[in-house]
Amino acid sequence: MSTTAHLRMRGVSKAYRFFQLQGISFDLEPGEVLGLVGPNGAGKSTTIRMAMGMLAPDAGEIRVLGHAMPSAQAEAKRDVGYVSADLRLVPNATLGWHMAFVSSVYPGWDPDYAATLLRRFNLHPQQTARTLSHGEQVKAAMLLALARRPRLLLLDEPGNGLDPVARQELLTEFMDVLRDDSRSILFSSHNTADVERISDRIAFMDRGRLLECSDREAFLERWRRIDVQLEPGAALPPLPHIVAESGEGRFRTLTTNRFDEAQLALLGGAVRGVQRMSLEEIFVANVMHHREGRAP
Amino acid sequence: MNGITTRLIAKELHVHRWTMLATAAAAMFSALACAAGGAAFNVGSIAWLTAVIAGGAMLAIYGVANERKERSLQFLLALPVSIPQYVLAKTLGLLLCFALPWLAASVSAVVAVLASPAIPDGLLPFVVAMCGFLLANFAVVLCAGLHARSEGAMTAAIIVTNMSVSLFMFGVGALPGIRNHLGAEAPVWNGTVAGVVLVELLVFAIALLLPQLTVARRRDFL
Repeated sequence: MSTTAHLRMRGVSKAYRFFQLQGISFDLEPGEVLGLVGPNGAGKSTTIRMAMGMLAPDAGEIRVLGHAMPSAQAEAKRDVGYVSADLRLVPNATLGWHMAFVSSVYPGWDPDYAATLLRRFNLHPQQTARTLSHGEQVKAAMLLALARRPRLLLLDEPGNGLDPVARQELLTEFMDVLRDDSRSILFSSHNTADVERISDRIAFMDRGRLLECSDREAFLERWRRIDVQLEPGAALPPLPHIVAESGEGRFRTLTTNRFDEAQLALLGGAVRGVQRMSLEEIFVANVMHHREGRAP
Repeated sequence: MNGITTRLIAKELHVHRWTMLATAAAAMFSALACAAGGAAFNVGSIAWLTAVIAGGAMLAIYGVANERKERSLQFLLALPVSIPQYVLAKTLGLLLCFALPWLAASVSAVVAVLASPAIPDGLLPFVVAMCGFLLANFAVVLCAGLHARSEGAMTAAIIVTNMSVSLFMFGVGALPGIRNHLGAEAPVWNGTVAGVVLVELLVFAIALLLPQLTVARRRDFL
């Protein structure tokens, strides 16, 4: 267990009437981007809001930049930037006022970077928040979070509802942030393409549980789809680490989460092809596997 | 009070500056109308009351309920602020936003009573008690707004506190220590007036203190 983790969660649980977040544990190290992927209602926002001290866990421990949350949230949030697709600025104040307000709170505010982001996002300081579109609201919130140069960025589905161009602009800025390897990002989304592009590590969440957390490359290497054509009358040999099986009769497609050559050796000449899986396919297969209660 | 609390208070003053200005202007204009006496007094006093009550209700709605509803609360909670600091800043900030136009309204009402020959000076203790009531009433609305988690609860709180204005006028105005001196040539400051003002101060203090003990300790603030 690292002592320098920017974000650490250990056994974090939170119960609502119809939803329970259970035993969430992970670390986010400096310089790392952790993508939190899950369907709607998985618990991504609850997890991030607990990391921000907006919600308190029922059990478990949360530390942000070494500070216990939510008790030391005022100290912790001095170096945290938070953007959510849900977040709105103060409606009848201008973006310029927001920039002046935020810069007065954070001594690390970088006015040159803020001006660059204004131009890049095509925002105008005279605009009142009420007149900003959804995409502009997210970009403005991103500007306010990034220009203070925080060590930790917590982003709760920032790309939701944005057009592809706006999403690309945000992702480019995230990459820019990561040139400084002392900073880290926790980034939740159900858009696996975005997560796959910028994340070093990926955590899958579903129905309040953290299903798996691993390096992006490890996910992509371990998961495979194996197409099999059995001999007439032959049965499929028992194989380890098969999480899904589809097809009927002689033609089957097997999905494995621990691909290795030994599996192919057991299948012998029946193997007709081995396909790599996209992160989205891995995510769906992972979720379905756990939902069916077939977790190893 | 630390830097972030002060900045959040300044934010309230900036955001609600037009509501404050409109409330103060409407109340002062109404007080001026009252000074004319007769029918103008009746119309002016109702307009004066309406301006102060509406200003307070708007501050509570836009300052508390809409911040949650329009999700700008998340932006504020993302600042380096603890929940107790946020609640304190919100309480003091909105109180200041109300207190400034309330002060303008109160001073203009007192001046109208003392300066106008059409209004007996004996009305002054009742006017002072009414001003105190409106301040306490706002503190109760603010307290309810900070506690309310739904728009319905907020609306109910505003309706109930508005109704209490009529109850105050008829109830306190009927107290012999006040009623018997309303038409007097000089104001009569007696134990009844002092008692009413004391109760108002007590309600005011409790309404401001309560959110610091309850809302500020909420584990979930969104």
